[in-house]
Order: sequence, then structure tokens, then C-alpha cells
Amino acid sequence: MIATNVRRLGLYLMLSFAVVSGSITWWQVVEAPSLATRADNPEVLAARRSLLRGTIFDATGQPLATSQVVDGLSLRSYADPAFTHVIGYSSHRFGTTGIERAFEDLLVGRTDPNPIRDFIGDVLDRQPQPRDLTLTIDRRLQDFAAEQLGGDAGAVVAIDPGTGAVLAMVSSPTFDATPISGDPNGAQEPMDALRNDPAEPLLARDRQGRYVPGSIMKVFTAAAALDAGTITPTTTYPDQPREETEGFLVEGFVIQEHDLSGITPDLWPLSPALQVSSNIYFAHVGLELGAEQFLTYASRFGFCAPGSIGPPGRQLAVASSFVTTPVDGDCGPFTDDAELASASFGQGTTSVTPFQMALLAAAIAGDGVMPDPFVVRDVRAHGEDGQRTDSVLDTFSSGGGRRVISSAAARQMRAAMVDAVNGELGRLFAGQGDVTLYGISNARSAGKTGTAQLGGEQAPHSWFIGFAPAEAEADPSIAIAVIVESGGSGSGRAAPIAGQVMAEWLRLAEAGN
Amino acid sequence: MRIAWRGVEFRLLLPILLLVPLGFVVTHIALSGTVEAGPLEIAIGYVAILVAAHLLLVAAGHRGDQLLLPAVGAMGAVGMIMLNRLPQELAGTSALGIELGMAATQLLWFAIGIAAMLAIAIGVRDDGVLRHYKYSWAAIGIGLLAATLLIGYEVNGARLWIDLGPVSVQPGEFLKIVLVVFIAAYLAETRTLLTSARMRIGFLSVPPLPYFLPMLALFAVVMLIVVRLNDLGTALLFFGTFLTMLFVATGRRSYVLIGLILFLGGSFVAYQLFGHVQARIDVWLDPFADPLGAGFQPVRAIYALGRGGVFGEGLGQGLITLGGSLTIPFVHTDFIFTAVAEELGLLGAFALLGFAAVVVFRGLRIAALARDDFSGLLAVGLTASLGLQALIIIAGNTKLVPLTGITLPFVSYGGSSILASFIMVGLLLSISHRSATGADERES
Repeated sequence: MIATNVRRLGLYLMLSFAVVSGSITWWQVVEAPSLATRADNPEVLAARRSLLRGTIFDATGQPLATSQVVDGLSLRSYADPAFTHVIGYSSHRFGTTGIERAFEDLLVGRTDPNPIRDFIGDVLDRQPQPRDLTLTIDRRLQDFAAEQLGGDAGAVVAIDPGTGAVLAMVSSPTFDATPISGDPNGAQEPMDALRNDPAEPLLARDRQGRYVPGSIMKVFTAAAALDAGTITPTTTYPDQPREETEGFLVEGFVIQEHDLSGITPDLWPLSPALQVSSNIYFAHVGLELGAEQFLTYASRFGFCAPGSIGPPGRQLAVASSFVTTPVDGDCGPFTDDAELASASFGQGTTSVTPFQMALLAAAIAGDGVMPDPFVVRDVRAHGEDGQRTDSVLDTFSSGGGRRVISSAAARQMRAAMVDAVNGELGRLFAGQGDVTLYGISNARSAGKTGTAQLGGEQAPHSWFIGFAPAEAEADPSIAIAVIVESGGSGSGRAAPIAGQVMAEWLRLAEAGN
Repeated sequence: MRIAWRGVEFRLLLPILLLVPLGFVVTHIALSGTVEAGPLEIAIGYVAILVAAHLLLVAAGHRGDQLLLPAVGAMGAVGMIMLNRLPQELAGTSALGIELGMAATQLLWFAIGIAAMLAIAIGVRDDGVLRHYKYSWAAIGIGLLAATLLIGYEVNGARLWIDLGPVSVQPGEFLKIVLVVFIAAYLAETRTLLTSARMRIGFLSVPPLPYFLPMLALFAVVMLIVVRLNDLGTALLFFGTFLTMLFVATGRRSYVLIGLILFLGGSFVAYQLFGHVQARIDVWLDPFADPLGAGFQPVRAIYALGRGGVFGEGLGQGLITLGGSLTIPFVHTDFIFTAVAEELGLLGAFALLGFAAVVVFRGLRIAALARDDFSGLLAVGLTASLGLQALIIIAGNTKLVPLTGITLPFVSYGGSSILASFIMVGLLLSISHRSATGADERES
């Protein structure tokens, strides 16, 4: 009879109702908190439209991003284009980027840094309170670094190796984000101009630009090999002097030395090899380290995966750096020993971000510990008229970093990098990176230049990574990576910029004490 | 005709009579920011229609189910409060020299729908007309479908509408009813044969060909709707209703399984062949891939659900518009559920789903108690159609299934939907009345 079947149908329908109830619950209970903070949530858009946003200050309390509400529309203006790629923009039309995006909820005050007050505010449906942010970056250093780059395309990243605090993050060319963050009706035209600009001013080269590293990669290869015990500072390769002129045959591929500017090849251990930046020497080191260990160390140093700046949940994204052709977002295997040899001196299929290379320098400077970088120092109660208040609600700091190589290996690497800048041979290539050239008398730099060959007629990228002060007993206070796109040799453009920026920082630090 | 007191119905209607005006007042306070009652004509009109329906059923001595009217009345009440709260210029009528806003137009359709429900519940005293002219009903159905194909026009990519001068109608809403009538008559006649005959293909037992053909024919109609009219929701609803009726008629799960395999297979082929079907499915799989383009409404619907949370933002306090434009453009029709869930929260959403469940389970009870196979299958078909429609659109709103452009019965704005849904309730009441009085006659 039908009645029996109807009863069975009833059970199936009851099950359907239960499933649909489950899917409603999923969005309204389980997913609701994470939906609430997404940037394209209309609630967030509405908030951004009308609510006052907190001010963003530099490390010394200078306002960099300020808001005012005019006729119910919240308008954002930015004081310094040198900060555009760090702070990002908050546009009614194009959404948010950078710190504006990562710290959205605090800036518009939808969440309270204190979880208990946050809960109470939520229950009582309180009006959002904007919060102010203080960056770790001193505007004077940021502007100085931007000036050094001039109009050239490139980036400067400086990090305090001890704390992980970002000291400068410059991407050039930059742009003024104020026009696209104001009245939504007038924002389209300036944005179109930026999008169509062949110089790509919208690209944050410091953390999203990927470049062939060239010889600065030798710092990684040597550090890994020292830590693994593959080499010591005195390791030499008997065939190396001959190969400097004849070439080094690896699996049918001949590795040629770069132009040594008249230096006579010799049986070089680590320090002179780094000073003259011998491709042959580091090809041997990489091959002896082996593909497996090379990739293991690459991952340990933060290559082969996306990076980030800042505390969990409020991170600025850093693009992945790769030592091989990427496969599914990870470094793929080396196809042969020739590729491994090329990667060992930063050619082949390597591609890295300036930020990652600054972290590499910071790890050597930091006695083998790679710091966790952060760029927002504290959250404060909002101050009127762009004044910074003393009411600190929350502070951020490094997670303590992670050891990537032993302290002993880091010290050996540091000594070689000091020689690379100050040694008899090194001076010829990287001498311009020394802070003593720029009015610092009591400190030296360590570093390494890079001249990234791009093939064809293209001028190479000019690179420098390093840190200061770098003497054996000193505690480095700044680690840096500089790239000038198609800037020629590393010694020509990047090394002097790095030297000047590090010198400026040492001056500022001294004046501050 | 003796008067039949319908006490249960009356007591269940009472809270609705009080809550509708209260809902209007609360909404007005939230929206205007002033503590005053605001206009209550529509609330009072709605309540009056429900009271009139109850009194007419009492006067007519109707012995049908007493939970159906309160349940659909409650769904309608939630709908009226929401529609009154949304921007009134979203929809409306300006026919015959009268200008009506959205809520007033909806109220007018409620009056027409409930009048149709009463006429059928009280007037249809035997099912001969329905049962004996089944092929005529089928022909009318095909005619409606053909009319939509030929002279229908598109709204939002789906061709569902026919323009009839002052009003536009959605023939699909009425096609649904005649198809249910036809299938109920057909299955009532052949169910013994369908059940006893056996043919096996592998592990599935398949109905013999002459009885399998109608299933295939209907499947063809459904796929035509998907492809030609781009109306995935109606297709799913028709086929689901048919499979439900087939299951109740035969008790064979395998038939349902074959039907589902056909539907999924057909959908897969349609996905491969037709861009618009593919687009729908892709948006369903990852609406966040294009949150400002194809995924706009689904994404906004999900955010609305999230904003509602457990307790809701409160009547009149949802984020319906943003910077002068609607956060969800089809909030009054396809997405009325998310608006309810946003303002009344999970609790309100469950209440609405609960009302729909009451309609479904009373409908199934009516089917189980029906005097004959035809009435029973008709009740099953009507119930399944109403219930599945509610489930499909709510599941679509919550991304459980691909989003489809069908209404939430009794809640969404739309004259055709309201009228067709009340005709179906009228038929259920009529079946229920006949089985109640029939039982009386046998006892006496």
C-alpha cells in the first residue's frame, strides 16, 4: 500500500531537512567568524566606506597614513610614496593591500586587541573604535634608501638581524596611493594609468619581485656547505686554478669563469674565492654538497615556499624564492649536475625575492639564526589630528627566529663576507659596500655583490647583500639586500647604495642613543 | 453544510495574528530610528486574509488538515515582514492606474492565492476531473512548456516568463501542478503493473519498456528545460518530484537510482556541451574565484548568512544595501532566505525551515490517509513539489547545491509562485477533507 512507502519517503525527507539545516549551520555558526574578516565582505566594505581608519605611524611617530570622514565617506591620504608598497592602499573601489589589508580589522576597530574587551564589545554591539599602528620602519631611513635608488627600478630591504624588525622596505618605482584611496568616482582614472604604466609601479618588487640572484647566492651555497661539514674555510679544489681559464666540464656543460679583471687564478680557499667571486669554486662546493642537501638547506633557509612578514593572521605575503624550476609551488628536482652547479653560483633556474635575500644576510649576521620578520611594532588607541597617543594596546615582536646553520658556520661565513668587502681582492669588487666610505669610522661591512646575467643583450641586475657592523666582536644592527634592475655589475650600483643605507642607519642609531 | 470548528487551526493562527503587526512595528523602528508604529495597513491586511480564510473554512464545514494553513501562513508572514522591509521599488505593479509597492503587490497575490485555495479546498468535491482527463492535463502542460519556449522572454539568463498584458506569469509554476496531476493519474493506473513486472540490467531492476517510456519522456522534457530555458532549478524540481512519486507508487529504490543516474549523467553531458550550464556549476564549485563577477550573488549570500550568525542582526538591521545599491540584487526572490537568515539568524532560519517541514509532513500524512491511490499519489506529488522547492532553493542559497532561480514557496516575492503554491495547498486540503469525511461515512 502507498502508506508504507509514504512513511519511508518521510524518513528520506527528514534526512534532507537535516542536511540542509547542517549547511545553514555551517555558514552561520562555523564559518561566520572567518567570513566576518574577509576583505570583500560587504560589511567590511561598508565599514571601510564610512568608518574612520586608524593612523599609521613610522617608528618615530611621524604620521604616514591618515583618514578623515567627509560627508560620511572615509578618505585616506598617504604622506610618503616611499611607503606605498609596505602600507598598501585602502580604496573604496579597489579594495585593500599591504598593511592596510593585513591589519584591516584593527585599523577600522572591528576587533579589539584584548580578547575579553573584544567579546564584550561584540555582545554589546559597540561602535568600532579605530586603532593606530606604529611601524618598525624609521621614515628617515626609508626615504634615504628610496633616494639612493633614484628613479631606477629596484628594491632595498633592510632588517634588524637581532630582532627581525624591518628597517626599510623600498620598491621603486612607486606611486602616490592617495588618489585611488579617496572618492571612489575619481579613482578609476589614476588606477588605469598605474596599470598601464610599463614600469609596473604597482608591483611590490621588494617582496613580490623575483630575480635571478647571481653571485649573492654563493653566500647560501657556502653557508650550507660549511654547516654540513662539506667544506671548511681552508678547503681547496686542485683542478680549480686550471678550470678558471679552461672552463669546468660538468655533464657536457662547460662552466666558464666570469671576467676576473686581470686577477691571476690561484688555488683559492673559501675567502679569496668569495672575494673574487669564483664561479668555478662554488660550482665545486655545490656539487660536493649534492643536490639533496642543497635542496634541504634551501628549504631550511626559507626558499621553495611562500614567505611572510608579521604575526600569524596579519601577514604580508612574500613571494616564494626558488633554486630550481618550481613544481607545484615547491622547488622541483635538479635535472642534472650542470643545473646544480649553476644554481650554486646563482644562475641556472634560480629566482629569488629581495626580501628573502635580506633574510639570508640577516641569518649570517644573526649567528646562524634567521629572524622572523615583522613590520608593525604596536597598536595604540587612536589619536586626534594625526597625533600618536601613549596608550599602547598591543605590541608585536619577532617569534625568536629559527636556527638555520650552526653558530660556528655562521662565524666562518661572516669572516669570509667581511673579506669580500674589505679584503685585498674583495675590495676590488665589493669595496663600495663598506660603511667606512660613507663617514662611519668605527665599523666595517660584510657583504657580497651579485651580477645576475640575464642572457642576450639585457644588462645584468645589480645585487648586494650584507650587514654592518661586521667585525668579529660586533653585533650587527642592520642586514640588507639591494637590487637595481639592469643596473650592471653589483659593484657599480647595488654595493654603494647598500653601503650608504647601512652607514645612514648606523648614524641614525648613534644619534638616537 | 454543517459548521466545523477548527480549534487547532485557530489557536495556531493566533500568534501569527499578533506577531505580524509586531514585526512591522519593530522593522519600522529599526529603519526609521524613531519610536513609532508606522504604517500597518499591509500587516493588518495580511492578518485579515488569514482570519477570513479560517472563517470561510469553518463556515464551509471543512474537515481538512488544520496545520497546513497556520504553517503556510507563518511562512507567508515571515515573507511579508521581509518584503515590507526591503526597498519597495524593487518590484511592484502599476497596472489599471493603481501604483502598488512590492509588499502591497505581494499582499494582493496572497489574497488571490488564498481565494484560489479556498475555492479548490471547498469546491473540489471529487477528483474525477483531475483523474479522468489526465492526458488533457498532460497536453495543457506541454502547451505551457511550448508557449514558454516560443513566446517566453528572458530574465537573468533564464527564459521563464510570458507577458500577459498587465501581469507577467511564469508558466513553469503551473506546469508543475498539471504534471503532478498527470503523473499521479498515470501511476495510480499502472502502479500494479510497474511493481510486479521485472526486468533486470545488472543489479538494477528496470521497469518494462512501456512503463519506462513515460519516465524517459519526462526526462527528455526536463533536459529540454535545462538546456533551452537554462532553468536548472525547475528541472531538478520536476524530476525530483517525479522520482518521489515513482518511489511511493512502486516502492522501488532502484527506479529512483536509475532516475538519479540519468539526471546526473544528463547534467554531466549538459555541463560538457553548454557554456551556461558549465558557468553555473563552476560558480557553485568556487564562487570566490570571481567574487565581483559570476560569483557575486552566491558570495554575497554567504556573507549575509555569516553576518546573521546565531541570533541575527535584528529585523531592519541587516546590510541590505551598500552605498545605495543592493548587496544582493535578487534578495526579494531567489535570496529571500538569506535575508531572513541575516536579520533573524540561525534561529529564524531554522524556524522558517521548520514551517516548511510542517507543510511537508502534514502533506505526507494527508497522502498516507488518502482514500485511494490517485489521491495519495497526488498528495505526495504536491507535497514533494513544495518541499523539494524549499529545500532546493535553501540548499542553493547555502551553496550545498548549485544555485538555481526558483522561489521559496510562500516567502519569495512573485505572483505566479504564490498563486501556484496556494492552489497546491487547496488541493491538499481538498484531499484531506475527503478522506476525513469518507472515514466518517464508513464509521456511521
